[in-house]
Amino acid sequence: MIDVKNISKSFDGNQVLKNISITFEPGKTNLIIGRSGSGKTVLLKSILGLFDIDEGEIWYNDRNLVKMSNKERKLLRSEIGMVFQGGALFDSINVEGNVRFPLDMFTNMSGPEKTQRVQFCLDHVNIDRKAYKLFPSEISGGMQKRVAIARAIALNPKYLFCDEPNSGLDPETSTVIDQLIQSLTKEFQMTTIINTHDMNSVIEIGESVLFISKGEKEWVGTNREILDSGSQKLDDFIFANKLYAQMKKGK
Amino acid sequence: MRMGFFFHVGRYFSMLSKVFARPEKSKMYVRQLFLEIDNLGVNSVWIVVIISIFIGGIMTIQFAHALANPLYPNELVGLGTRDTLLLEFSSTMLALIMAGKIGSNITSEIGTMRVTEQIDSLEIMGVNSASYLIFPKIVAVVFIFPFLYIMSVFFGLLGGLLTGPLVGVVTVPQFIDGIQWLFYPYYITFSIIKCLVFGFLVSSVPAYFGYYVQGGALEVGKASTKAVVNTNILILFFDLLLTRLLLT
Ligand SMILES: Nc1ncnc2c1ncn2[C@@H]1O[C@H](COP(=O)(O)OP(=O)(O)O)[C@@H](O)[C@H]1O
Ligand SMILES: [Mg+2]
Repeated sequence: MIDVKNISKSFDGNQVLKNISITFEPGKTNLIIGRSGSGKTVLLKSILGLFDIDEGEIWYNDRNLVKMSNKERKLLRSEIGMVFQGGALFDSINVEGNVRFPLDMFTNMSGPEKTQRVQFCLDHVNIDRKAYKLFPSEISGGMQKRVAIARAIALNPKYLFCDEPNSGLDPETSTVIDQLIQSLTKEFQMTTIINTHDMNSVIEIGESVLFISKGEKEWVGTNREILDSGSQKLDDFIFANKLYAQMKKGK
Repeated sequence: MRMGFFFHVGRYFSMLSKVFARPEKSKMYVRQLFLEIDNLGVNSVWIVVIISIFIGGIMTIQFAHALANPLYPNELVGLGTRDTLLLEFSSTMLALIMAGKIGSNITSEIGTMRVTEQIDSLEIMGVNSASYLIFPKIVAVVFIFPFLYIMSVFFGLLGGLLTGPLVGVVTVPQFIDGIQWLFYPYYITFSIIKCLVFGFLVSSVPAYFGYYVQGGALEVGKASTKAVVNTNILILFFDLLLTRLLLT
C-alpha cells in the first residue's frame, strides 16, 4: 500500500502539484488520469522520490519516504519496478541483458539462476527466445514496452509504476499491455500505479482511478462510477471523445 | 532561466562528487571500463595515426621551407618537427581533435540516455547513474590519452621521415640525426602531465553537458556542440596554465 498525504510540489514558483492525498492499494491497478501537462508524471516521480516534494508525506506501508535516510531509500528502490513512457530500455544492451541488468547489479545470484529468472520474466510478458539477442532499436514499440515490464518485475517488486505505458502504441497492443500489467499485479500482489490519458485503459483496468486537473485532485473512484462522477472537469476530459459522449447518452 | 558561469561550475563539481562516490558493484564497473577503453580509446587509434602522419609530413616541409637559409644545418628540420610534436601537437592539438570525436560522442550518448529516461531508470533501480555512466569514461580516457600521445609523436615523426626525403627537402640521415639533437626527456614528462589533465577535461566536461540535458534530440545535438566548444576553451586555458607553471 502507498499512502500519499497532502503533497505539494512546485518548480521555480510554478506550482505543479497542489495538496494531493490518495491511497493506492495492493493487488489493484491504480490509475492516475488527466490531461497532458496536468502533473501526472510529476506526481509519479514525486512518489518515487525522483523529485523532492515541498510538503506532505509519502508512506510505503509503514515507512515515510520523506524521512528516509539514503540507505533506506536504496532499500526501498529495490522493491520498486518502473516502466517509463518510452520504455527507457538501455539501448547499448540486448533484450536479455536489459532484464538481467538489475539482477547483475543487485543480487548475488549465480549465472544459471539469473538466466532462469530472465526467462521467467520474459516468458511472463510473452517474449520469444528468438528475440533475446536483439537490441531495443531492433524490436517494435510494443515489444519494447513488454521488455521494459519484464525488467521492472525482475527483482520481484512490491510496487510497480508505469508512466503512460500505452503511449505510441496502437489500441490492440495497448489492450495487451494493460491486461498484462493487470494480471501481473494480481499474480504478484503488487501495488501498481499507472499514469495514463487513454480512456480505453480506464474502462479496461481502472479498478481505482484518480483524476487530476492542473495539479489538483478532482475525483477518485472506479471505472464503473466514472460516468456518473458529477465532476464537470472529469466529464469534459472523458467526453472530449464523441464516442464516449454518445455512450453516456445511450447507456 | 539563464544560468551563469558559477552555476555550471558548481553543478559540475557536485556531479564529480557523485561520480567519484564509492561504486555499488565494482564488477559491473570493471566490465564497463573495458567497454569504454575499447569504444573511446581503441576506436580513436586510426584517426590519430592518420592525422599525425599528415601533420608530421606537413610540418617537415614547412620547417624545411622556413629554414631554407644555407646557414642553418638541415638537421634542424628533424629537431623542429620533433619538438613541435612532443610539446604541442601530440598533446594539445590532439586533445582538441579528440574533444570533437570523443567529447561529442560522450555528450550525445549520455544526453540521449537522459532524454529517453534511461538515467531515471538507473536511478529508480538505485544505481548511482553519474558514477556508473561517467566514472568508467573518465578513467578510460585519462588512461588512453598518454598512449595516443606517444603514438601520435611516433607517427608524426614517421610522417616527417617519409615526406621530407620524398619531396627532397631533407635526407633520411639528416632527419634521423635531427630528431636526436638536443633532446630533453622532460618534454615528454611535461606533455604526459598535460595529457592526463586534457583526458580528464575531454571526458568529464562533455559528460556534464550530456548528463544535464533537458528536452529532446535537438537539445542533445546542441549540448554536443556546446560541450566541444567549452572543452576546447578549457584545454587551451589549461595548456597556457600548465606551460607557464611547468615549463618556464
Ligand atoms: N523538471 C521540471 N522542471 C520544471 N517544470 C516541470 C518539470 N517537470 C514537469 N514540469 C512542469 O510540470 C507540469 C506537469 O508536467 P507533467 O507531470 O509532465 O504532465 P503530464 O500530466 O503530462 O505527465 C508541466 O507544466 C511541466 O512543464
Ligand atoms: Mg507525463
